[in-house]
Amino acid sequence: MKLWRVLGPGAALLALIVSACSDVEPPHASGDAQNGRLLLRQFGCGACHRIPGVATADGTIGPPLDAIARRVYLAGRLPNTPQNMVRWIRAPHSVDPSTTMPDLQVTQAHARDMTAYLYTLR
Amino acid sequence: MKRTIAILVSAVGALAGVLLWLGVYDISATDQHLAPTYWLLDTGMRRAVIQRAKRIDVPPLDDATKVAEGAGYFKALCAQCHGAPGVSPEPFALGMLPVPSNLAHSARTWREAELFWTIREGIKMTGMPAWRHRLDEAQMWSIVAFLRVLPTLSPERYRAVAATAPLPAPTVRRSTPLLVPDPARGRKAIHQYACVTCHVIPGIVGSNAPVGPPLGGVATRAFLAGVLPNSSDAMIRWLVSPQTISPGSAMPDLGVTVQDAADIAAYLATLD
Repeated sequence: MKLWRVLGPGAALLALIVSACSDVEPPHASGDAQNGRLLLRQFGCGACHRIPGVATADGTIGPPLDAIARRVYLAGRLPNTPQNMVRWIRAPHSVDPSTTMPDLQVTQAHARDMTAYLYTLR
Repeated sequence: MKRTIAILVSAVGALAGVLLWLGVYDISATDQHLAPTYWLLDTGMRRAVIQRAKRIDVPPLDDATKVAEGAGYFKALCAQCHGAPGVSPEPFALGMLPVPSNLAHSARTWREAELFWTIREGIKMTGMPAWRHRLDEAQMWSIVAFLRVLPTLSPERYRAVAATAPLPAPTVRRSTPLLVPDPARGRKAIHQYACVTCHVIPGIVGSNAPVGPPLGGVATRAFLAGVLPNSSDAMIRWLVSPQTISPGSAMPDLGVTVQDAADIAAYLATLD
């Protein structure tokens, strides 16, 4: 008998244990996530940020937005909630006056949809 | 024969996996290890310290000012967890498992080099911190000098010594790195400044909490903290004093030395 045939089940069990480790999921944000994805592209967010699922979004000016729903703070200071993400997108300088993140005149509705998409990244 | 071994190994592995998954082992600090587990961990720890301390040369430790200096560090940095003759550890330390040892006993059972190694490097999963990024070698040796005297002190005498012990001198911080920045040292320093508790950092085991941004490719990012144009010098400045660069940031000033910051920056620069 080959060694792997015996060790196989053990390895499978280990893989199961490793893959099944999970923690409490972050909330979902209300808004139209698919529209948000298009808006993130149209507002050029990808020029500065890497955003999974958004075409050509591979900027390295600011931090990557991979798994941003799990991030604890936004802009290094704002507790990450959907409401705060909307605020940060709409008025970054009200959060951090010296940030290089520009105010892109995003409407409340658009910011909500962007947030809905960003909160699918987890 | 081969087959029997394979079945045995796999059975033990599977059983261990099941126990792990079911959360059977009690990791609480209110329940001591079973005696065999304790023996295994304690013996392993002792052997590891003895082996690593072998190459350390012990400087002269009899100097009275050295001992007095060490008493100051002991009172400020050791006694809150370990207690002292006639002095209880702080309440939080009483809740630790293993409970921090009585150092009058440790000083009688460990050699000078072993005490020094333990102070400098700390011991994983015991609560004993490493002091090498907080104190210099002379300061740590002064603690060893005092520990040698500690078992000879009555509670009354300790009280007198502690009352007159000089306050620890603040560590002098260099403004330029003394050694060429080294990614390998930086990799270790990343653990010593708790970077791993807030950032996902490729190549660093246990860095899996996305409190702040992930640091993969951070050297190629244009701005740090959204405000500081990035460069290796800028990274060092940011690591040393984030609150100056971005007041109100959730990233605290961690007392990172310029040397450690340069080493950490060198490690971060290796990440794609």
